[in-house]
Amino acid sequence: MSRRIRSIMALTLALALLVSVMGLGGCKSTDESTDETDSTSVEGGTFNFYISEPAFIDPYNLQESEGTQVGQAVFDSLVAFDPLTSEVVPAAAETWEPNEDGSVWTFHLVPGATFHDGSPVTAADFKYAWERICNPVNESEVSYHLAVVKGFDEMQDGTATELSGVKAIDDETLEVTLQYPFADFAYVVGHPALAPVPMALVESDAAAFSEKPIGNGPFMMAEPWNHDQYIKVVKYADYYGDLPKIDGVDFKIFTDQDTAYLEFQAGNVDFVQIPTGQIQSTIDEYGESPDGYTVNPGEQVSLGGEQAIYYLLMNNIDPVLKDVKVRQALSLAINRQAICDTVFEGTRVPASSIVPPGIVGQTDGDWQYAKYDVEEAKKVLADAGYADGVGLPVIKLEYNTGSGHEDILQLVQNDLKAVGIESELVGTEWAQYLDKLTEKTYQVGRLGWIADYPIMDNFLYPLFLSTSADNYSNFNDATVDTKLSEARQAVDEADRLAMYQDISKSVGDQASVIPMFYYRHTRVASDRVNNGIFSPNGLFYFDGVTLTQ
Amino acid sequence: MLKYLIRRVLQMIPVFLGVTMLLFVLRAPGVLPGDPVRMITGERAISDTLRAQIVEEYGLDRSLPEQYAIYLGNLMKGDLGQSFQKSRPVVDILADKFPNTVRLALAAIVIEIIMGITAGIISAVKQYSLADVLTTLSTSILVAIPVFWLGMMLQLLFGILLKRWTGGAFYLPISGMESYQFPAWAHMILPAITLASVSTAYVARIMRSQMLEALGQDYIRTAEAKGLSRRAVIWRHAMKNAMIPVVTFIGIDLGVMMAGAILTETIFNWPGVGLEIFHAIGQRDWPVLMGGVIFIVFAVMIVNLLVDLSYAVLDPRIRYGGAAE
Repeated sequence: MSRRIRSIMALTLALALLVSVMGLGGCKSTDESTDETDSTSVEGGTFNFYISEPAFIDPYNLQESEGTQVGQAVFDSLVAFDPLTSEVVPAAAETWEPNEDGSVWTFHLVPGATFHDGSPVTAADFKYAWERICNPVNESEVSYHLAVVKGFDEMQDGTATELSGVKAIDDETLEVTLQYPFADFAYVVGHPALAPVPMALVESDAAAFSEKPIGNGPFMMAEPWNHDQYIKVVKYADYYGDLPKIDGVDFKIFTDQDTAYLEFQAGNVDFVQIPTGQIQSTIDEYGESPDGYTVNPGEQVSLGGEQAIYYLLMNNIDPVLKDVKVRQALSLAINRQAICDTVFEGTRVPASSIVPPGIVGQTDGDWQYAKYDVEEAKKVLADAGYADGVGLPVIKLEYNTGSGHEDILQLVQNDLKAVGIESELVGTEWAQYLDKLTEKTYQVGRLGWIADYPIMDNFLYPLFLSTSADNYSNFNDATVDTKLSEARQAVDEADRLAMYQDISKSVGDQASVIPMFYYRHTRVASDRVNNGIFSPNGLFYFDGVTLTQ
Repeated sequence: MLKYLIRRVLQMIPVFLGVTMLLFVLRAPGVLPGDPVRMITGERAISDTLRAQIVEEYGLDRSLPEQYAIYLGNLMKGDLGQSFQKSRPVVDILADKFPNTVRLALAAIVIEIIMGITAGIISAVKQYSLADVLTTLSTSILVAIPVFWLGMMLQLLFGILLKRWTGGAFYLPISGMESYQFPAWAHMILPAITLASVSTAYVARIMRSQMLEALGQDYIRTAEAKGLSRRAVIWRHAMKNAMIPVVTFIGIDLGVMMAGAILTETIFNWPGVGLEIFHAIGQRDWPVLMGGVIFIVFAVMIVNLLVDLSYAVLDPRIRYGGAAE
């Protein structure tokens, strides 16, 4: 008896040892899962989708990609974006039209659309939802979306309780008056945060609503948000649009992306982020999507460009960096391709504009100093009176620690040294770093910018308007300010795009910031997924997806 | 005994005040960088009205002693404040997470006790046997292996490779607490083994050395001379005396585990207290951090008290609260 126990104990401990040792050799997966000829793609099934814990899934505060992904499944805004072309397409509104100068917009809602509790979606629900966002009591961090709407400022400073610019003419007609003409406003109302909410439910228990929002989208919450575990949505049978082909989506929440990837390898998750260092092996194993966005069996890796940019800030009012030639020299000195290759395994693309490709009207290369040219950099630096960097003070390269920016800035530091510019790295914690940007006490910093809407305005207006709070480079050019507001009022699309192109070029000529690289997707789908689209806007579209059962 | 208990409970008060005060001092402007309002709202610019409202709501405009007094007052009412990041009461968040941490900790402790103590006894009783050599060797290795590596290897072996080898017939869940394929207890297996690994090795080693020492004592020889069976000698005499340091270790370990195991919880996506606090530190979510730390302090103090009390059961010579004889 005791001998048996003894052997079991010894065996167990030996097994523990064995397990650890076996792990050493067994990492590379084998190709044995190709025999799928008799399985078919049919309707139904649950899509297992990896996200990290969202901040909010209630539209009034939808901000980061995780919450927005869930929000988009549960809610429909007035319009939506085509997942591949980014064009505005009808959603809750079937048609809409601006007045002649683009200052008043009328949206006609789809008749008969309902919330998931069966109550009708009316224009008043949009008005209520938007006022909920603008009401400072609710502390929404995304109220800036509506800053252009008349009455926004009054609501924000507490002198009004409703958005005077938003009128529900009748149940199916919403009229929005803007503070000034804004021809791209239809893009703004496509953001998932601006979806309607049913007033009665929110008023009766707002906290419960935030945990289990009742929306008007193709999927409804099956149960309240299970924090740090999952968010489960199922198909809403009475949806007014085309019904999804899958039964539902389980948004599986993972803290650690390596764990999520292991779950993907184990066949339990259908769409995940590829961990750093495993991009090439994942492509080899699962195949790359031809267009970078559409995933199908054997074409499972999505590496398409995103509507996002990583750039270096230069403080345009700094005594040294206020000299446009110094800024141009800095921008010319940086070997972006080398950084993309060494730090990012090629998952970033060198940027030659502040506006990433895929945004309508974008022109790659319109920022003439956003390129690598050592000779030119030296020449411009000499023109500025600092030949070979002589006389130029040491430039501080500031960044927030703990997010990998140091690796990038070290390479930047070497590049600058090569043209004679001495610099030092200053890493601080995120909150303190933000303080420095706000207080304008930095020299060179870094930031990323992700488009809220796929329009050039969304990059140029917030980042370069002299009075914009997001203009951390302190760029200030009265001509550009005027042009920005003129462009917003240009109703003719071709004219408008030409104006934005002109603005982008002129800001680029002054090298106000240093575009570094465009982001690319690094996701992989399971071989169950057919016709999934991971859009350039960073959202996955479940509309046409089928799952191989 | 009662006197001792009261004294121990009273001792908790200064410890508790010290911990909360320390956290409050760290929070003072200038000690740690970062504007708390920015931590709540992120990099996007916000209106002054919103800023003023957040400052007012979280009491950020009051003096530090004032904020501390308010905090303590609320604490007495069971209110730990509102999370900066999640817009939920801290008490609710911790109440969600704590049962998960306890479940995992208890499962790990059970593994630790059964495996550790049994292995320790066997290798002591059969010193220098194959079992002893294997135990000593494997415990050395377990102590040396980083927990996150062990966890990932277990995931790879039991979640992925085993599934492939058996054509999907047999494998274990590798993350989370629930799924359609598995009962909840199955989700606990790998994280509990990972969490227990290092401690099990320590328990085995402590148990082995304590047993060896006990087995060499005179009273063991006396017991054997009396004609007691080997089993009775080991279980009734040697083991009971060897247990005290082991119980101390396990008790402290349980206290530590109650605080949540950050690495294990992260690797296995186990939504426990440790993971929550870890997030809170990164996000400067002071209310969650404060609440979490207070919570841990309580858990450790209470478990320690229970451990001290359990000595009396193991060793009748230990009495509490009375004067020395």
